[in-house]
Amino acid sequence: MKEKKKVLSAQEELKQREFQQEAVTHINALYNYALHLTMNPDDAEDLVQETYLKAYKFFDSFERGTNCKAWLFKILKNNYINKFRKNAREPGKVDYDLIKDFYHTIKDVQSDTTEAESDFFHSLLHEEVYQALLSLPEEFREVIQLCDMEGFTYEEIANMVESPIGTVRSRLYRGRKLLRAKLEEYARKHGYNTEIDE
Amino acid sequence: MNCNKAMVLMSAAIDGELTAKESEELTGHLDDCPECRSEFQDAKNTKIIIRERIVRVRAPKNLVESIVKMTSVIS
Repeated sequence: MKEKKKVLSAQEELKQREFQQEAVTHINALYNYALHLTMNPDDAEDLVQETYLKAYKFFDSFERGTNCKAWLFKILKNNYINKFRKNAREPGKVDYDLIKDFYHTIKDVQSDTTEAESDFFHSLLHEEVYQALLSLPEEFREVIQLCDMEGFTYEEIANMVESPIGTVRSRLYRGRKLLRAKLEEYARKHGYNTEIDE
Repeated sequence: MNCNKAMVLMSAAIDGELTAKESEELTGHLDDCPECRSEFQDAKNTKIIIRERIVRVRAPKNLVESIVKMTSVIS
């Protein structure tokens, strides 16, 4: 009996270790996704916590070798829908100051060392890019975030948003088109000429 | 291929999500169309901008700790 208990405990320990390595490592990405969905830090924390609780509970059903981050995002999205949509419950008050805080207090921005530097995009402020993204309808904003910020494949995104791959592809095209128009608007404010003006 | 179709394919091309046939068609069009080449470059830049300019925040320390703790006590 004692022997059996020891084996179970070792299994549990293994599961915990694997979970830490595979799942907990994505906590920052999940938190950012939750923050973008709810625009409220308290709701975001709750969502992430519930997501990990559920993920741990069902970790045995996670298909090893597939993308754990995509699996976690899917759970978080489902939680979000259950919590805020199905119950017709509104997320907590949108914290607009939070957006500003991102850009005034967070300093760990990646260095800008790309070809994009040389053109008008370089004039854009982080906050402006974020505002432009936020101004898009949710279905466009979401796929852009999942693709460009999180690096998911179309297939993974399609699974997360429960739409066909063709829809993801078309939303990305349309969303980026809208976003570019927004960014060019900001760029013009900085005195840059963009192709739209020509 | 006309420019409109090329525009639609560009978005998926920068994500590496075109089929081989589509990729070939788009490359053929870009070789012949300077406007679309320029558009393609701008489309790539837009993706770079999103990736690099959107600030990520770290999950609060207390959240990380509570999750580590939570997954350590459940059995």
